[in-house]
Amino acid sequence: MFVIVNGHPHPLPEPRTLAALLLLLSPLGAFAVARNDEFVPRATYDTCDIHQGDRIDIVHPAAGG
Amino acid sequence: MEEQTNDDLTLYEQRFRSHLLLGTARYDSPSLLVNAIRAADPAMLTVSLRRQTSGSTDAGQSFWSLLRETRRPILPNTAGCHTAREAVTTACMAREVFQTSLIKLEVIGDDVTLQPDPFGVVEAAIELVRRGFQVLPYCTEDWVLCQRLIDAGCEVLMPWAAPIGTGQGPRNPRALRELRERAPQIPLIVDAGIGLPSHACQVMEWGFDGVLLNTAVSRALDPVRMASAFASAVTAGRRAFLAGPMIVREMAVSSTPEIGRPFTSASSDRPSPR
Repeated sequence: MFVIVNGHPHPLPEPRTLAALLLLLSPLGAFAVARNDEFVPRATYDTCDIHQGDRIDIVHPAAGG
Repeated sequence: MEEQTNDDLTLYEQRFRSHLLLGTARYDSPSLLVNAIRAADPAMLTVSLRRQTSGSTDAGQSFWSLLRETRRPILPNTAGCHTAREAVTTACMAREVFQTSLIKLEVIGDDVTLQPDPFGVVEAAIELVRRGFQVLPYCTEDWVLCQRLIDAGCEVLMPWAAPIGTGQGPRNPRALRELRERAPQIPLIVDAGIGLPSHACQVMEWGFDGVLLNTAVSRALDPVRMASAFASAVTAGRRAFLAGPMIVREMAVSSTPEIGRPFTSASSDRPSPR
């Protein structure tokens, strides 16, 4: 049972919430998250359920023009 | 001569002394970026959001710390988005990370020219305005597109001069100038395709409110010196616009008075008819 994190498969955590996944991944610094191309506000990580095959994008500040 | 103090650039009721916006990408080193920012003295810095790359253990932390230390306002972009949906999601993530409702909206319609997708950018602008964003859309100089973006609630437009990163300068000067005439009350920032300070000066002379640069500075042999040159050019162009340029004429007009010119008969000692 996997989710796709930044394009790579990752085992589903228990409980199957975004908060649990982020606890495992421990992203550094400032970041934001989208699930299946939809923004997930930080305040809803605990209640955001994730499922087999969900695509999770975690992004950070980067240079831009 | 003292700097003008009553000529701020106003974007969504925020006032900026500088009329130059600077991108933060493609510098050879962080110190070059910081020194270029110092030299350009820009109103805002553009940034993006990206996944952590496999080789990076830093996740953009040092970059973001560096920018925060410059204490410059941040303008996040939606660079690389090809659909309105991607752009809206990216904008929402940017608002959370950068704590600003300002967003430079990019929806790319063609991977060769990186031309904005006019349909996607309007669709995204409508949704972002609905969600409370202050949208600065990257667009072409097409007047109908610009009208649609204004109708969507965009209070600033950012038409291209030429395709991103080409440095060609204004490819369609007539259309850009017509856009300026058709939208006199809308702040217009020329974004993309500027390569030389003379390009920036030119569009500022035409009455554009600002320019957004990246590659022209970051890929110069000496980015810091080029940043300074652009700052001067933008100021010069703005001052020239405010000063009201002379009217271009078809025929030569002597600038030295004709009255009192020697080697003429007394009867010709009268004002020139021209």
